[in-house]
Amino acid sequence: MQESQVIIERVRRVGGAIQQLDIAVDVPQRTVQAGQVFLARATDSYDPYLREPWVPIRKRGGTVTVERSVTVTYQPGQVVGFLGPVGKPLLLRETARTLLLIAFDSTPAALLMLAEQALNVRVAVALALIGEAQYYPLEALPPEIEILRGEDATWQGQRDSIRWADQIVAVAPPPQDRAYYLKLRAAAKDARGEIAPGYVLGLFQPPMPCGVGACLACLVRVRGEDVAACVEGPTFDLALVSLE
Amino acid sequence: MIELTGGKQPLTLDNPVMCSAGTVGFGPEYGKLIDLSRLGGIVTNPITFRPRKAAGGTRVIPLDSGVLVHSGLPNPGIMRAVRDYAPAWKLSPCPIIIHLAATAPDELARCVGALEGREGIAAIELGMSDDATHRDIKLMFNAVQQHTELPILVRVCLYNAAQLAQAAQDAGAGAVVVAAPPRGTARDPLTGAMVGGRLYGPWLKPLAIRAVGQAVHSVQIPVIGCGGIHNPDDAREFLSVGAKAIQLDSIVWVRPEMVEIIARNLGGLERTRASGALADEWKPGMGETAAMRAQILASPPPKPPVAPSNLPK
Repeated sequence: MQESQVIIERVRRVGGAIQQLDIAVDVPQRTVQAGQVFLARATDSYDPYLREPWVPIRKRGGTVTVERSVTVTYQPGQVVGFLGPVGKPLLLRETARTLLLIAFDSTPAALLMLAEQALNVRVAVALALIGEAQYYPLEALPPEIEILRGEDATWQGQRDSIRWADQIVAVAPPPQDRAYYLKLRAAAKDARGEIAPGYVLGLFQPPMPCGVGACLACLVRVRGEDVAACVEGPTFDLALVSLE
Repeated sequence: MIELTGGKQPLTLDNPVMCSAGTVGFGPEYGKLIDLSRLGGIVTNPITFRPRKAAGGTRVIPLDSGVLVHSGLPNPGIMRAVRDYAPAWKLSPCPIIIHLAATAPDELARCVGALEGREGIAAIELGMSDDATHRDIKLMFNAVQQHTELPILVRVCLYNAAQLAQAAQDAGAGAVVVAAPPRGTARDPLTGAMVGGRLYGPWLKPLAIRAVGQAVHSVQIPVIGCGGIHNPDDAREFLSVGAKAIQLDSIVWVRPEMVEIIARNLGGLERTRASGALADEWKPGMGETAAMRAQILASPPPKPPVAPSNLPK
């Protein structure tokens, strides 16, 4: 965890709605792993006031690539205030040979680093794009990933996909995340009978004003205790999270 | 060095800059990002006698140049807070001020009892609710004062701060903090629900400065200004209306490096001024300058350039 200033090296448009930024980062930020985020401030003004979560989708040497909406203009050479990496890494199960990633109504960007990590160790990866996520540009994804599509939380072939997967990681936007994860947990229990620890994981993306667990605004209830998503998360085992 | 000498015990601080309750956690959270030794002190997140869960639903609503936060005062309760954080308070590089939320006199008394004898605690800050009356302040203050020798600060709400500061002085407070972030209500853009919570942002500063000025005129005890401070000039404005010290709030979240810059500016520690550089031009951790400098110093000096032999003489 460090506060630093980084430089945008390259801006690349992908599809109609997203752009990828290659960012030259300092040594501490090169340690970022799948599941972790950076809290970024791209302007000197206080609008937006809080730092925005920038999710790395790839890292190569001293360059980290993040995905942003095209609604904001970024320029090569632009300096950005970076805080992070924030949170704990999202770990692939050692025994996993098949990985199911699910993006509910949101960009799958937060899952892409894990997908690449899994592909590098020859784990088969399937990505289910559900709801609004169906319109995500496929050219932004590695060709080795199998793509599934669905209209809602219970897509066709969901049961088979869950039975196929050795690990499931899902992302959904707040505030619908809990509802989606509740359905996913029920579906996993239905398909598998018993949910093993670390089998179904969900990313929680509440606003993180501080990023160090001080403001206690991003708390998630896990095993009956409130824990800060910016410190202990943002990925949690859905078997342990209070979703009701 | 400043001395806040309103109550029976003075509170001495090396620097007039503190971090306010609700922004820096319970002590060690910001240790990696801010050099806490440069600060006059940090005030912990509010602690209650019983544990409190986080508020349900939306807790953060971004506003134009600000934010609304509705946390619900989550805290582990005084017993667990002492168990978990007392070792960090003991080793803290700056004085720790424990913020106790004024819930009930008997609970406050038990909280103070649990804190008794713990090292590293410099003072207690009593956080009054927004609807507190003179009588409430006296009751709560007495409950705390009877069980501790530590200096006691009282944090009052922004509205009618002058009257509440007077009540705090009458009760015997060492200093009064003006003010707690005001409450507001905003619509959550994601759910459409109206959410109430504390407001933070630079626009809060003029409101807070007015309240501080009024409080300074109505009491003799030191007044600590708090609200909307985002740079050294903001902080100096609070001092210019009579505040003896200041507390920083949401700037800690949005620009942690600014905390050190403000502390350095107000604490007379601006070492870069001697070299002609403005303090704001340097930021902690910027570009790994310290590591790079160490690397450069450790490496052998570069060889002087050799002139090509084919140059005309």
